[in-house]
Amino acid sequence: MESEIVKIDQLVKRYREKLAVDHFSMEVRQGEILGLLGPNGSGKTTTINCLLSLLKYDKGNITVFGKAMRPDAYDLKGQIGVVPQNVAVIHTLTVAENIDFFCGLYIRDKKKRKQCVEEAIEMTGLGEYRKYYPKKLSGGLLRRLNIACGIAHRPKLIIFDEPTVAVDPQSRNAILEGIREMNRQGATIIYTSHYMEEVEELCSRIIIMDRGRNVAEGTTAQLKASLKNRETIRMDLVTCTDEIIRDLKEINHVYEVKQEGEQLIIRCDGGTHNLLHIMGYFEEKNIPFGRVTTELPTLNDVFLEITGKELRD
Amino acid sequence: MFCHIFLYRIKELLRNPWHLAWNLIFPLGLATAFFFGFGNLIKDDPEQFTTIPVGYVKEADQPFDQVLTALSKDRKDPILKVSEYKDEEEAKKALRDGDTKGYYIQKGEEISVVVGRNGVTSTTLHQILKEYENQKRVLETIGKKHPEKIADAVKTMEKGQEFLRPHVFNKYTSVYMNYFYSLIAMASLYGSWLATTMLSGISANMSERGKRFESAPVYKMTSLFAGILSTVLLQGIFNGILVFYIQYGLHLSFGVPIWQVLMVTTVGGAMGITIGVFIGALVKKRGLQMAFSLAVSMVTSFLSGLMWGEIRQIIESHIPVINRINPAAMLTGCLYNLGNYGLTKNFYRDLYSMVILTVTLLLVSVAILRRRNYDSL
Repeated sequence: MESEIVKIDQLVKRYREKLAVDHFSMEVRQGEILGLLGPNGSGKTTTINCLLSLLKYDKGNITVFGKAMRPDAYDLKGQIGVVPQNVAVIHTLTVAENIDFFCGLYIRDKKKRKQCVEEAIEMTGLGEYRKYYPKKLSGGLLRRLNIACGIAHRPKLIIFDEPTVAVDPQSRNAILEGIREMNRQGATIIYTSHYMEEVEELCSRIIIMDRGRNVAEGTTAQLKASLKNRETIRMDLVTCTDEIIRDLKEINHVYEVKQEGEQLIIRCDGGTHNLLHIMGYFEEKNIPFGRVTTELPTLNDVFLEITGKELRD
Repeated sequence: MFCHIFLYRIKELLRNPWHLAWNLIFPLGLATAFFFGFGNLIKDDPEQFTTIPVGYVKEADQPFDQVLTALSKDRKDPILKVSEYKDEEEAKKALRDGDTKGYYIQKGEEISVVVGRNGVTSTTLHQILKEYENQKRVLETIGKKHPEKIADAVKTMEKGQEFLRPHVFNKYTSVYMNYFYSLIAMASLYGSWLATTMLSGISANMSERGKRFESAPVYKMTSLFAGILSTVLLQGIFNGILVFYIQYGLHLSFGVPIWQVLMVTTVGGAMGITIGVFIGALVKKRGLQMAFSLAVSMVTSFLSGLMWGEIRQIIESHIPVINRINPAAMLTGCLYNLGNYGLTKNFYRDLYSMVILTVTLLLVSVAILRRRNYDSL
């Protein structure tokens, strides 16, 4: 069994009357990339701040590397790297100095530190910008610097809090590839985001948060398998009658048919060749139709089915 | 770890153009503006010390006669030029005519002083009488309780008087120097900005940088004291540059060895920094921190005489407690007393007040800042 790096048990955090984290529990296993997915305000960052012991919390237990996480647990803090949501660097220090400064908070040995700084610069592709001041860097490069400052000391556990917000696609891909590389090198990753595509692409396991609660968890496949909706078929149809809708509902695995404007949306709960069966019906009845698309479920569908609202809302 | 944080803080703050502008360039510019405004007045200041013509109305021989005689002689530039008048009317007339700056008058055992207007001259005349009365009281007490020790006491007091002389009657200071003392006080209190910047970088509830910093395995006290020491050093250097510029660039003398001035301004700088740390400990929002720092610096500097030179003296006459609690007035008073009267009781009172304020604010701030996790971020 993979060993447990982080365990959060029944965490409760209130901001006065507002319940930000509601009996939230999770585990992070060694070597995995755990995605913490949820809309803005769902409690992801609050959970991370509690995990880092920056925030006091009302109830619950947090252990990291098997020990209770406390504000003065310096031995644990030394093994964690943090990449905060907003760029957290010093604007009057150069790229190399910023990385050296933050790395120096963890590593005292100058020789070792120098090596770590060089590795972080190389990994984030900041080599040619080492003498630049942050204000001279583009948004994407700033994000890379933000990451380099959090990972230079080679932490065993790295927490990325929405690292790709407001980042161009090219930098985003570079960041995601960098995270994969760190994971390949042995780091356990916690990755919070409200971008489901990113989480789906990157993470080996996902926890979906809503209103401070853990509403679902598992691999992408497990989460999708838990859905009733397995396939959504959209069909452009000029004329739709009640009879057509009734007939379609009688086809095996079709459980919902609804009309939105000139588009018919048909949802199936499993089975195979659903599209063929439906198109066969229209051909048999000689009913003309336009464009047809079929969609497999996404994490947004998972979120929608569990919470009744869109993840993107 | 301490050195790592300390050195990077120095580097970070020294490269901050905002701090360089406000903590160094602005005070230098203001000093230059003051110099062009009334630099010549300082050099030709009528209040600048020269021998003080003073009247004396006596009824009978008293030991005070000897004090006045001593201060009128025995020096290349005598302190006093004493003219005796037979009654107060004559002395008043001489004062009105400008022949004297004031007069001492005996009424029985009591001696009082009447002066023309406030300034260095009036302070000096008051100071002489005050010193005499103190010494007289001490001698009377010793005479009653330990008559055998009276000779030793007289010797000690003579030494004290010698000690006082080179400072009390400094030739080179001017009342207009008060503006420069207040300017140094203002510059020192601008140190509070350095302190709030430093604090925001190490406190998770103030900035993202602070969150990253507090996620690291660093003792809070280590980071706090490394930060405070770096800012005190920087503000001390900025103050030193200002002092050197006034003394050697503008050729306006502080009237005492410059190391004494630097010592006082370094304490002043430390006081400014701890005020900033205190503000940072109480106020979380960066904008409010800056606003409070500015308000404290400007209001206290104004009350110490930055814009109206006499205000500190007026406050001292009517509500002295304000000067005792106003940090800018403490520093201004310290430099004023040092420049005009040397290492006197008043100088030490202001110096100790600064030290006490600094230590108190530091202890309170540390008590607040020592927490390492927060209710909200």
